[in-house]
Amino acid sequence: MSRVVMYVASALSFSIFWLGWGLRLRKYRRGRRTSPGAPPQRPPLAKRLLAVASNATVIRRNRSVGAAHLLVFWGIVGIFLAHIVVAVDLNFYPFFTRLVARAVSVFLVGRLSMVYAVVFNTAGLLIIVGAAYLMVRRACSSGPRLDYSRAQKPPEGYSRAGLIAGDWVFVSLLFANPLIGLFMYGLEIRADGFPPSEKWQWVAWLLAHAVRAVGIGPGKALQIHEIAMWVHIAIGLTFVAYIPFSKAMHIFTSGVDLVVADPGSARRLPPPQPGSEHVGYLTLADLTRKELLGLDACTRCGRCHEVCPARAGGAPLSPRDFVLDLRQWADAVGGSPMLLDRELRPGGSGPAAGRAAREIAGDVIAQETLWACTTCMACVEVCPVGIEHVPTIVQLRRRLVDTGRMEPSLQLALQNVGQLGNSFGKPSRERTRWTKDLGFEIKDARKEPVSHLWFVGDFASFDTQVQALSRTLARILHDAGVDFGLLYHDEWNAGNDVRRVGEESLFEHLVEHNLDAFGRAAFDRIFTTDPHSFNTLRNEYPEHGLDKPVLHYTELLAELLESGAIAVRPLGKRVTYHDPCYLGRYNGVTEAPRRILAAIGCELVEMPRNRENSFCCGAGGGRFSMTDSYTQERPSENRIREAAALDVQTFAVACPKDYVMYSDAVKTTGHSDRLVVSDVVQLLDEARVAG
Amino acid sequence: MKIVVCVKHVAVLGDEIRFTTDERDVDEDYYDRTLNEWDACAAEEALRIRERLGGEGEVLVVTVGGPSADVALQRCLAMGADRAVRISFDQTVHDPIAIGHALSEAIVPEQPDLVLVGVQSSDSVQGSTGTALAQFLDLPRVAVVKKVEYDHATRRATCHRELEGGLVDVVEVDTPAVLAIQTGINEPRYPTFRAIKDAERKEISLVSAAGGAVSGYHVRRMFVPPKPEGAEMLDGGPADVARRIAEIVKERLA
Repeated sequence: MSRVVMYVASALSFSIFWLGWGLRLRKYRRGRRTSPGAPPQRPPLAKRLLAVASNATVIRRNRSVGAAHLLVFWGIVGIFLAHIVVAVDLNFYPFFTRLVARAVSVFLVGRLSMVYAVVFNTAGLLIIVGAAYLMVRRACSSGPRLDYSRAQKPPEGYSRAGLIAGDWVFVSLLFANPLIGLFMYGLEIRADGFPPSEKWQWVAWLLAHAVRAVGIGPGKALQIHEIAMWVHIAIGLTFVAYIPFSKAMHIFTSGVDLVVADPGSARRLPPPQPGSEHVGYLTLADLTRKELLGLDACTRCGRCHEVCPARAGGAPLSPRDFVLDLRQWADAVGGSPMLLDRELRPGGSGPAAGRAAREIAGDVIAQETLWACTTCMACVEVCPVGIEHVPTIVQLRRRLVDTGRMEPSLQLALQNVGQLGNSFGKPSRERTRWTKDLGFEIKDARKEPVSHLWFVGDFASFDTQVQALSRTLARILHDAGVDFGLLYHDEWNAGNDVRRVGEESLFEHLVEHNLDAFGRAAFDRIFTTDPHSFNTLRNEYPEHGLDKPVLHYTELLAELLESGAIAVRPLGKRVTYHDPCYLGRYNGVTEAPRRILAAIGCELVEMPRNRENSFCCGAGGGRFSMTDSYTQERPSENRIREAAALDVQTFAVACPKDYVMYSDAVKTTGHSDRLVVSDVVQLLDEARVAG
Repeated sequence: MKIVVCVKHVAVLGDEIRFTTDERDVDEDYYDRTLNEWDACAAEEALRIRERLGGEGEVLVVTVGGPSADVALQRCLAMGADRAVRISFDQTVHDPIAIGHALSEAIVPEQPDLVLVGVQSSDSVQGSTGTALAQFLDLPRVAVVKKVEYDHATRRATCHRELEGGLVDVVEVDTPAVLAIQTGINEPRYPTFRAIKDAERKEISLVSAAGGAVSGYHVRRMFVPPKPEGAEMLDGGPADVARRIAEIVKERLA
């Protein structure tokens, strides 16, 4: 009888499990296949699988939580295998042997049984310990990671009690059921009078001793064992059915998403969906299957929420909320519901709108949320499960741009780029006006071959503060005997930020123009002042035909210093260095600027957030052309305060936008008497001696 | 419902300019061109008037100039205008009266219900082409319009004009009429580059103006005025400042 109950319950549980996954798979299939285009830039498959198996991305930046997760992860793998083995041993194998050998037997005997017992018990204990830690941490955490307050506050209010309930149900079940299961075995051992063959069930064995110690006799133990078994089975089967309808689904989705993720998708954005009548994302069918899977991979661990400069500054964007909102809406439209893990809204706006939402951009995700992104990529970089937020945000911005929904100041900047080739609204012939007082002429790469083509970029060409830095760099290169030239007024905005704003057609136009200009010049390598131009020239232009190496000026200067082309004396300054997002995080160029600082005898004091974990200045992704939406401190001010806590006099930068943003932030935070913002090139210039 | 919008492809000057050898114009190497800001607002307002009428009617954009001025028209087409006309005009004198006359030649056969112009162009800042045009078209004209309500049934336009000190002058005008649109009346929509590319494939009709108007307007000379001397800020208490002023006056008189 009990066997029949169990078979029926199991069948029901597994049916619901597969039904849930069927619904999820059907939702993914409603998404489009990933665009053709450049192949993804992934590490080798073995490395990716190893990352999943080792929980490396979970452990990185959060060791204790990652370690607890690793225990639960391998505990579940062990428990899963053990249950399969025991199910086969008790149900299928005897049936099979009766058919074939006409004798009922089990295979889980002898040495095999010992191994099984040890693995089973250890796995259970791992889960219990890991889940216990995760529960304590969840209960005691006070940081932003587990704080579910929304960054973008809907006027009608919202409730995220469902998310909190979903978290606790999941982690509690993980903790409780292995404990009940082991306890169940312990009671059995007690009831059987501690048979020595069972001592390999070592955790259960210990529990059996505990049972005896509290005075439970063999008869009583058998009774409780019966209850514990049914509770264990009931919880287990309910949990199995619950998986695809809750955050527990990440057990499957996160690993898969991490394996198929393309870490390069932000640095080389995918084109708008091909063959579509509209530009940018409008409906569920516009999202790729990978994007839909990524939404289901989110465990709301809050790492992206914590590192996001927009969120930190009180802007209405949190990458976590973005993913959760999009998932809830996709679940509603795609018909793959979540039981608890949902946000409720009294008026049913945003993600709660479901099918009633006309389109994603503006209805599901607020416009101001999409515009708040600086595309700094910190969210993508920190995400332990391979979600690529930035490309999706840009796809939605493409839709906003296509329907003219943007700030007038951004519109003006785009119009300037479209009509004049620069965002400053200056005639293009003024692009090289900064070269006037140099005392020497910079070569025109369109007229004579040069070994290095300097792609200066808008800021370094037109901004009066940064022009001085351009002149300094020009003098250093000139004195070092570098053969370099400019495109003069044929250089146009490279389009990195134009593309990230979502104005794809204008980006293509800029690429076409600049490639034509490159084609009319002769050079071996390109170097840029601006890390943003650097990114698009290096990662996006090759698809369109650029086949020359692209360097950042700090790389070129480091080379020149190390070859002895520039003679320097030690400066002896204590400096900190800010990694520009598009240089460090996007392109991994973190050491060249540090090599320069070392070569000129500066003592580098690192900020807590450095290299790929650097903190955005707030000007990227077109944000420079928009008005601030920060309700707390601006990201640049946040960063200056971080630096001010160190004992340094100099805040070194290697990006024109950083120079402008931080020069301002030093003043607005009242640190101008203690901290000087200097570009690496200025420090190098100061260290130069007549060679 | 037909609305004609007159637009200009204006010069964008940088910080550095050089003049032509005859010193009567800016060397064209020293400027780029763009759609006049006021005219973009006029085009936007025309599109909105049409939208308010349920999308019925036609918005026609007109400019005077060489082939390069097509860019300004294409911008308006990308915003949503239906048709564009460029009036080629080879007269050397480009003053408001001559331009107004050329525009009127192309506009008369269109028999529009409304003619919208910008209050002024950002490069030559004459602010009178619309007035001249109204004269040649023999139509009433409303200047510096910050709000338009057009009633298609009565064929009347109620225009709000912003005066000094925040005063609003509400004018009712029978149409057809010429309205000079002020910036701030709207935020012109963003024509995406894709829309501009599509607009580049649209035909722009070419009209030659006979050029009948003689205005007697001549540019004598263009130059950068010499910089005036800087001001001197006086610090200190009233007595110090007064003493210093007295000294300066004495110095100057001496």
